[in-house]
Amino acid sequence: MSLKTNIARRPLLASLLGVAGLAVVGGGVYEGLRNATRRYPPTPYDDLLYKLSDRESAKALGAQVLAGATHFDPKATAKALRLKLRHKNLARVLEAEITHGDAVELRGWVIPQTLASLCALAAKAG
Amino acid sequence: MGRGSPVRERLQLRAFIDARTVASGANLQTDLLIVGGGAAGISLALALANMPIKVLMLESGGTDFNARTQALYKAGSETGVPYLHLEGSRLRYLGGSTNHWGGWCRPLDEIDFEPRSWVPHSGWPIARKDLEPYFDRAQALVEAGPFIYDQPKKWSQAQNANPLALGKGGVFTTYFQYSKTRDSDLPTHFGDRYGDDLKRVRNLNVMLHANVTGIRLSHDAGHVDHVDVATLTGKHFKIAAKYVVVAVGGIENARLLLASNDVMKTGIGNANDLVGRFFADHPIPGEVGTLAVFNGDIAPYYLVPRSALGATFRSAFTPTDARKRATQGLSSLTTVEGEIQLDGQDQAVVAATASSLGIDTSGMKVFTLGCGMEIVPDPDRRLTLSGERDALGMPRLNLNMTISDQDFARYRATLHELGRQLLASKVGMLRIRHTTRAEWLSTMDWGNHHMGTTRMSSDPKLGVVDANCQVHGIPNLYIAGSSVFPTYSASNPTMNLIALTLRMADHLKAQFP
Repeated sequence: MSLKTNIARRPLLASLLGVAGLAVVGGGVYEGLRNATRRYPPTPYDDLLYKLSDRESAKALGAQVLAGATHFDPKATAKALRLKLRHKNLARVLEAEITHGDAVELRGWVIPQTLASLCALAAKAG
Repeated sequence: MGRGSPVRERLQLRAFIDARTVASGANLQTDLLIVGGGAAGISLALALANMPIKVLMLESGGTDFNARTQALYKAGSETGVPYLHLEGSRLRYLGGSTNHWGGWCRPLDEIDFEPRSWVPHSGWPIARKDLEPYFDRAQALVEAGPFIYDQPKKWSQAQNANPLALGKGGVFTTYFQYSKTRDSDLPTHFGDRYGDDLKRVRNLNVMLHANVTGIRLSHDAGHVDHVDVATLTGKHFKIAAKYVVVAVGGIENARLLLASNDVMKTGIGNANDLVGRFFADHPIPGEVGTLAVFNGDIAPYYLVPRSALGATFRSAFTPTDARKRATQGLSSLTTVEGEIQLDGQDQAVVAATASSLGIDTSGMKVFTLGCGMEIVPDPDRRLTLSGERDALGMPRLNLNMTISDQDFARYRATLHELGRQLLASKVGMLRIRHTTRAEWLSTMDWGNHHMGTTRMSSDPKLGVVDANCQVHGIPNLYIAGSSVFPTYSASNPTMNLIALTLRMADHLKAQFP
């Protein structure tokens, strides 16, 4: 009886595919975690910035807010945002703002006030 | 020979009269004289068909464009905000400016007739309900199909495509309908379309190449005695009429009254210095905004005219009357134009906003926006007589054009509200492109909608004509056309001025028991 006959082909293939799958999933998770942590060093505002699902776009938007602002106080902005966003879903807050007319313009785009402030904070935090 | 056969029809037609064949020095008479063969004049002539009165309609041009006749429109000077050349923004032959109009139609809104505290000089002496009985006939004359307009369910069912869902607020989707000559893509050119109809009217004569150079009052200025007529071939004659209706357009109506200053030295109807003032047009600044539709799904009738229900229609965004009242706003009509691409900065704004709201933008489409705006009446936006004269000896006109920063600001506020509503419903986002006056003016075009120069008011001190379009103090002189509009809405004027002319026709009929 050869070694070859002792190892069935189908379980072997399944095992190899499983290992490969784990590697892919593991790699994806790792890459996601790396993206989430690698690019953004800790900031005093992470409790707020984690609410942004697209941090890069938010930074780009925020840079435009800062470019048009004569004065921006990140600490005061963060304090106001914490009051507004504590224990709340960002999307729900933005929806409520836009519904009630609390909108500002950025490059002429009509956006919720809180989004502009949060994105400005993201840009300031780097 | 059957009724309606070509030979029978030819026999029924009365040829147009050529004023160049009338003897100089002749004194003609008629019961009712219509000066001008454009949309208003032709509509009035047809409305008075078969009345037991003799009607004569004069047209300066022939049945086709002629450069020498058109040159009578040249301005003396134009100052202020850059505006269209007065010679080019209208046409001087049978059918008038319908020979080059775009065919856009939309009825005036109720609020357009009301006095509005935030709009100086606003308020018509009639309400929309006074015009409504005439809308169907006006709509038929411009051949815009059934009078449907703001019935979104009908359009969306016919096209199987719903209007954009806007969040609750002050802007909604409204609808234009288009004039469209049967079996043609062109809007109705009144001269071509109704030329034969005019020839069939038994009590009507149409005289071409006949230019009225003066309205001559009785010595006591109590009524019109006659009008002076001239041709470019040098003929001069007079026409006396029991009633005279001046319908030569929003600019020429004022010019003719101002130039007829032999008895009333400031011009007919101008005792209170109103004739020629309050000139208006609809500003059409370009690329006023950018519309991003997140899922890319926008009904085609926002982008181009579509045919349905026997009509051709297109959508636009407009503020509700309630919003105008609440925000001291003005009317406007915002249209969706061509598809464009966003640059990197704009993409970042849209991506960050959409992702924060949990919106997928993978199918997004982006469009530029256009508009037509209402402006506030301004007495300094004005036509006056210049020292220059045209080939017939008529004074040419000077125009001073204005537009206020507040007019732009009010429209801007409407765009902001539309942007808010789009985002509230998670349908899309809007970017307002212009902020400064220079930005607004950099893309400015105008509607060629000349209005306001012989404004309507029940108070002779505040208006040139009364609610029936009769010139105050001169019982046999009337003005037809959008020059009588005291305020201007954002709706295109042609269908509305025709409705107002048809109302005038009923009033005139009552003068001939």
